[in-house]
Amino acid sequence: MKSRILDALGLSRAGYTELRVRRVWSTTVLVRGRSVEVATSGVETGGLVRCSSPGTGWGMMGFSGSDGLDAPVLRAHELSLAATSRVPVILAPITVRQHESATPLDDDPREIPLTEKRQRGETLAASLFGPDRRVVSGRILLRDEVVETWLATSEGTWVHDLRSEVSVAALAIAEEEGNIERALGSLALRGGWRAAETGERLVRDVAARAVELLHAAPVRPGRYTVVLDPAAAGALVHRAVSHLARPALPGADPDVLPMGTRIGPECLSVGDDPTAVGLRGTSVCDDEGTGTRRTPIVQNGVVVGHLHTRETAAAAGQAPTGHARAAGLRGAPHPRPTNTYLAQGSGSFEDLLDGIPAGIYVADTLAAEADGERVGLRSGAARMIRHGRLAEPVKGVNIEAGILPLLGRIDAVAEDFCWDGQRATCRDGSAGVVSVSTGAPHVRLLDVAVGEGYS
Amino acid sequence: MIGRLLDALAGRVTAADAVVKTDDTITLSISPDGDTRVAGARSQLSHLRVARQGRIGFASTTGDEDAELVGRAMAGAASGEALELFLPAPAPLPAVVTREPQAATADAEELHALARALYERLTRTHRRVEAWAERSTGSVQVASTRSVLAGYEVSVAGLGAVVESIGAESAPPCRVHYAAVALPALRDVERLVDEVSARLDPPILTGAGAIGSGPVYLAPRAVAALLRPVRAALTGYEALLGRSPLRGRLGEQVFDRKLTLLDDPLAPGRPGSRPIDDDGVVSRRVTLVDRGVLTALASDLLVGARAQVPSTGHGWRMPNAATRVGLTNLRMEPGTEDPGALLGGLSRGVMIQDLEWGGGANPLAGTVVLRAPWAYLVEGGLIRGRLEGVTLFGNVFEVLNRIAAVGNDPTWVGAQELPSLVVEGLTVACDR
Repeated sequence: MKSRILDALGLSRAGYTELRVRRVWSTTVLVRGRSVEVATSGVETGGLVRCSSPGTGWGMMGFSGSDGLDAPVLRAHELSLAATSRVPVILAPITVRQHESATPLDDDPREIPLTEKRQRGETLAASLFGPDRRVVSGRILLRDEVVETWLATSEGTWVHDLRSEVSVAALAIAEEEGNIERALGSLALRGGWRAAETGERLVRDVAARAVELLHAAPVRPGRYTVVLDPAAAGALVHRAVSHLARPALPGADPDVLPMGTRIGPECLSVGDDPTAVGLRGTSVCDDEGTGTRRTPIVQNGVVVGHLHTRETAAAAGQAPTGHARAAGLRGAPHPRPTNTYLAQGSGSFEDLLDGIPAGIYVADTLAAEADGERVGLRSGAARMIRHGRLAEPVKGVNIEAGILPLLGRIDAVAEDFCWDGQRATCRDGSAGVVSVSTGAPHVRLLDVAVGEGYS
Repeated sequence: MIGRLLDALAGRVTAADAVVKTDDTITLSISPDGDTRVAGARSQLSHLRVARQGRIGFASTTGDEDAELVGRAMAGAASGEALELFLPAPAPLPAVVTREPQAATADAEELHALARALYERLTRTHRRVEAWAERSTGSVQVASTRSVLAGYEVSVAGLGAVVESIGAESAPPCRVHYAAVALPALRDVERLVDEVSARLDPPILTGAGAIGSGPVYLAPRAVAALLRPVRAALTGYEALLGRSPLRGRLGEQVFDRKLTLLDDPLAPGRPGSRPIDDDGVVSRRVTLVDRGVLTALASDLLVGARAQVPSTGHGWRMPNAATRVGLTNLRMEPGTEDPGALLGGLSRGVMIQDLEWGGGANPLAGTVVLRAPWAYLVEGGLIRGRLEGVTLFGNVFEVLNRIAAVGNDPTWVGAQELPSLVVEGLTVACDR
């Protein structure tokens, strides 16, 4: 593959050319109820060529397969000549590296027979139904994926990477006296097939949450002190902070948080760390071949950094941070978060609850969405806090607020930081979907408007 | 390739079918400062399904490795679902426009002219505009061991923009788009421009007071978002075997009598148009809801076999997926009142131009929470201004039983043709 890629790259007449080929082997086992509905495997190969020359804009050509790489290289150059750019495409300089990390995988999921994967899915489904007859339906999605990436540029960068991930997603539907509730959960682990053995606990938790919701009362809308669990806090900072720390491409007027802006209290420190070990967004190099590095975004409430590609870094006069990420096989690199974290504070979870007469504990998030200046969090599992202790479950908790006002209501961050193991993804319009992780401790916010998400 | 695939399976399987899709796309985008970018993509997907010893297996690839694809499909069948699958026999294909030569051959220059026309018409002081134009062309081939061998050529052209109003009258991104088999004409460009003006021009209102749960006017783009739970409830496993509120209710009055929904793969030149589905089932129009009565649920061969009902021709094949049931072109029968008369009937209410779909507490059951950044206060039939911070709560199935009026303005929004609606039963919360 290396010689084919380098030969094709050598044909380019553009000033800068980048050629990426990616191959994805995947297996999916879907168990609906107790029956295996799908056990299938797929292999996809494809990539992207990106070219620019002085006086032109970017030309890009995506392709499937890995035969005939010459044609997309030539086509990308043609397309770059059809593009125009008032500001020349300038890429911030990086260390040209030759990175080879495609060593054979331990416990390679591709070596495991489909029959064994099917059995694993059936075992997990059996755990979902367990002893509680109120769990009447559900779904287990067991998926493994091995991704091999080759990246070469006309500057001499060469990256070859091989990684694998196993994930389990569970849906449980519980029913009692006509009342139906559902709960969702997922787990994704980098590594070999044995990672799938850790899914049992997740599946039992999801079933238990669905049953618990049967007796949860709808939340009473009002203003509360809210405590977010680490997963919810991580989802909030991913959507409300790291998304706004990504400069758009040169010339655009993005909704980026300006450097030096205070967006929260002293206890709010947020960053993004693609070097954290074993997480979904972890990598040694990004999709432009830049070495990744941990990037502080907010320090003690003040914006101190942005997530950059080479192009956005050059426009901002900064160094690239290794956050150029391409979605799927044929996506172009855009500045995207990887593993976003809210840094730990001080004190325990119990300290956060202490003294709250009536509040809400958000223990899961179904969705975190942001639009312009507003962010929404919908809880999948929540409890009332009464007199400083967790009390009865409530459902339908929906928080909808301006991003900066909400961040300004953070008044305490605990010390119990942990990375969240869910199969989290970051969606961003035409830039596509990339895998991410989040990490945070428990967080307390004061005087938050909580609406009811159920009718 | 498709013939070779099935030849390789001769004598080894009970039945098999395959789909090969190719696509060649060019996208040209204009950034807010007027720079252009051009991206192209060529792709191929081969999807194979086999039935062997009473079990079903699938595999897909983006390459040309026939033997490897066959091997993985056979392995899938060894572990797959136990199910008897009946493949359709060959049948004449209906005539339907799925490709338009000018769109299929449009180059970057033609796309640039389209995107530039939209960009320039939308550009104003205090606006940030991004525009794009796209065309894709390709083919779909379907074959099976029951001698089905069919194919058709496709093209889809798209034009769209994201417009933000900046400064004192700031607004969230306003997204509009056109999609059809043919390139957009000038009137289509003007329609997008008018839509942006209708959303951005009204002044922002503050202190509008409580809105409550009065009548809500939904423009076609907002109707498309509201229908998402209904589409899910009408389609596939959930509809026929799962937790859809419509399951088992064929023949019942499930919606207001003013509502008629039709899935129409034979609508000429629309994104979902096709003469045959990916299972080899010949396409036909299917009335899903007739004056509020549930008349059909969409299925493909696989879900149909599980539920022991015939396929309605809604099979799709996607990369790395088994099969998927999905609608083609969803059309809602228009009413008789023009949009002006619908608005005139509102003494005090809200008009929603578009909705942000954010899921819901239980979307399949229809309970939704929808943010409405494009909401307008209507008093005495006149639009007073844009409301900020509006969220809609309600149950879509209950709302569609309380349709006050259906407009006579059917408008294509992607692969859906929808009129405006006036509905009751949605709670409107406004936090500004």
